[in-house]
Amino acid sequence: MVNMDAYQVLTAVHIALIYAVLAVPLTLSYKTTKIINFVHINFITYGAYAAVLLYTFLGIDNVFVAIAAAFVIGGAMSVIDNVTVFEPLSRRGANVVILMIASMGLWIFYKYLMYSVLDVLSRVAKANLVSVLLRFETLPRVVVNGMPITSAFLTAAITAAVLALMLYFILEKTAVGKAIRAIADNPTLAEISGIPRGRVVNVMWFMAGGMAAVGGVLWAIFAIATPEVGDTLILQVFAIAVIGGLTSLSRTALGAFIIAFAENLGMAFLNQVFGVPTSFKPFITFSTLLIVIIAFPPLGAGGGLPYRFLRKRR
Amino acid sequence: MLPSFDAFGFLVSWGTFLGIYAILAVSLNLEVGLTGMANFGKVAFYGIGAYLAASLSVYAVLAVYHVAAAPYTTEGIIALGKYGGASPALDLGIFAASLVLGFIIAGCVGYLLTYPTLRVGPAFLGITLLAFGELLRIFLLNYQPLGASKGLSGIPHPFLWIPDPVLRERLYVLVVLGFLAVTLWFAERITNSPFGRVLKAVRDDEVAALCMGKHVPRVKATVLFIGSGMAGVAGVLLAFYMSSVNPNMFVPAVTFNIWAMVILGGMGNNKGAVVGAAIITFVDRILTFITPNLGITIITPDYVRWMIVGILIVLVLMFMPGGLVPEKPIKTPAWEAVESLEKESKEGGSGGDEA
Repeated sequence: MVNMDAYQVLTAVHIALIYAVLAVPLTLSYKTTKIINFVHINFITYGAYAAVLLYTFLGIDNVFVAIAAAFVIGGAMSVIDNVTVFEPLSRRGANVVILMIASMGLWIFYKYLMYSVLDVLSRVAKANLVSVLLRFETLPRVVVNGMPITSAFLTAAITAAVLALMLYFILEKTAVGKAIRAIADNPTLAEISGIPRGRVVNVMWFMAGGMAAVGGVLWAIFAIATPEVGDTLILQVFAIAVIGGLTSLSRTALGAFIIAFAENLGMAFLNQVFGVPTSFKPFITFSTLLIVIIAFPPLGAGGGLPYRFLRKRR
Repeated sequence: MLPSFDAFGFLVSWGTFLGIYAILAVSLNLEVGLTGMANFGKVAFYGIGAYLAASLSVYAVLAVYHVAAAPYTTEGIIALGKYGGASPALDLGIFAASLVLGFIIAGCVGYLLTYPTLRVGPAFLGITLLAFGELLRIFLLNYQPLGASKGLSGIPHPFLWIPDPVLRERLYVLVVLGFLAVTLWFAERITNSPFGRVLKAVRDDEVAALCMGKHVPRVKATVLFIGSGMAGVAGVLLAFYMSSVNPNMFVPAVTFNIWAMVILGGMGNNKGAVVGAAIITFVDRILTFITPNLGITIITPDYVRWMIVGILIVLVLMFMPGGLVPEKPIKTPAWEAVESLEKESKEGGSGGDEA
C-alpha cells in the first residue's frame, strides 16, 4: 500500500516553490535575450554561499539579510556578464550556439573561482566550507492541524510570493517591464521605437540573476550548501524551463510543481511499489523532460524548425 | 626540481592522451564546427565506449577461464590479474570487438537521442545531451554489475602478453595515433565531400538548407551517429590505456575540455581541432608531472587550470573567433575555376596598365 502522508506532500510543495524561484528567471532571461545561460548555475551556488559566508564570517543568521545580499550578488554577476561578454558577442552577431558556449565558459570559470576562493577562506576561517548545513530560524516554526511547518518552508513560501508579486508588478505595471516584454517579442522593433535596449536588458539581467541567487539561499537553508549545489540542480532547472517552453513564466512555475511532484511523490511511489532505489530520481526528471519534448512540441519549440510538418510530408 | 625527467616516457604518455582527445575533438568539430549542433553531452558517448570496453573485457576474461567471481569483487580482480595476459589472441580479440561495438553502440545511442531533440532547435539539443551525460553518470554510480562507484578495474591491456611494460606502452601509442590518423582522414573526407557542404549549409542557415530540399533532421542524425561513434572509439582506447574505469572519469567537465580544444583550435577545421587537443593535453601532462613537486599550495592547481580553461573559451570567442587555425574555403573544382578566372582578370588588368 502506498503511503503518501501530508509531510511528503508538504516537502514536494517546498521543493516546487524553490524550483519555481530558480527556473522562472532562466525563462525570463532566455525569453528576452535568447541566451541559454549556464551561469544560472553559478548564481544559485553564489547565492547559497552568500548566506554561508555571511553566517561564518559575520555571524548573521537573519535569513532575509542573506536573501538581500544574495540578490545583489547574483544581480551584479549577471549584469557584469552581460556587459563584458554577452552584449559584445551579440552585437557582433554571434548565434545561439556561440552565446551558449560563452556562457558555458563563464560557468566553468565561476565554478572553479568559487572553489579557489573557498580554498583560501577555509584556511582563514579554519572551518569546513565545502559542505555546510545552514538552519536559520528567523521565522517561527508553525503547527497547523498537528502538521509542523518548518521555518525554511515559511521562508520559501513568503519569498516566492513576494518575488512573484514583484515580477508581476514590474513586468505588467511599469515602463521598464513593458520595455522588457517588447524586447522579448521583437528586439529590432523595440529598438526602433526608442527603447534603450542595452539598459533595459541590464535591468532584466539584474532581476534574473538576483532571483536565481535567492533560490540558492532557499535551497541552502532547506538542504545543504556545497560548491556543487547549482550543478546538482541543473537538470531540474532546465527541465522546468523547457516545460515552460522557455517563453511562458506562468507555465514555468507550473512546470516546477510538475517536476517536484513527479520527483518526490512519483519516486516514493516507485520505491514503495517496485522497489526502485531513490538514487534513480534524476531518471524521472529526465523522462519527464523527454516526454514533454516529444509529446508537446509547441511547448518545447523555442526557435526550432517545424520538423513535424516535414515528417508528415514524407 | 624534477630529478629524473623521462622525456621519451613523457612523449609516449602525451601521445596517448593527445590521440584519444584529438579523436574526441575531431568528432566534436564534425558536429559543432561543421553542422552547428551544440553537443554538450560528448562525455556520455565517450563513457559508453569506455564502459562497453571495460565490461566486455572483464566479463569475457572471467567467462573464458570459468571464474565464478564477479569482476568488481577482490577475487574477480585477482583472477583478472592472473589470467589477463595469458592469451594474446583473446586480448587482441577483445580489443578489436570492443572497438567495433563501441563505435556501433555509442553511435546508435546518439542517433536515437536525436529523435526527441532535433525538432526543437539547437538550445534544447544542448540541454538534453548535457542532461543525458549526467544521467548516465548517475546510472553508472548506482548500477552494481558495472562496479557502481568503484568502477571496473583489471581491464586486460591488448598487449599484456608482451612482458616489457615500456614496449607495451610504445606499441599502444602507435595504435592510438593510428586511430587518430584514420579518424582525421575520414573527417577530412567528409568535410571535402558534397555531404560536408550540406553540413555547412545546415550550419549557416537551416531554413535555407531545408528549402533547398535537404532533409535537415536526417543529416543531423547522421552526423551525430558518426560523431558519437568516434567518441565511443576514443572511450574504448581510454579504457584499455587506463586499465580501469569509474563513473567520476566522465563528469561534464570532460565535455568542456573537448569544447575548449575545438574552440581554441578553430571551429570548422579538423586540423585546428588536433592543434587545440595537442596544446591542452600538453599543458595537462606537464601539470601532472609538476603538481606533485609543488607540495601543498593554498589553491589547488587543478582549480586554477579549470579557471584558465573557462576564461580561455570566453576570450577566444570574443577576440579570436576563428581560433588558431581558422576555417578555409573548400577547394572544389568550381572554386578553383573561379579563382583562376579572377587571377587571369587581375593579371590582364595589370598587364594592360604596363602596356
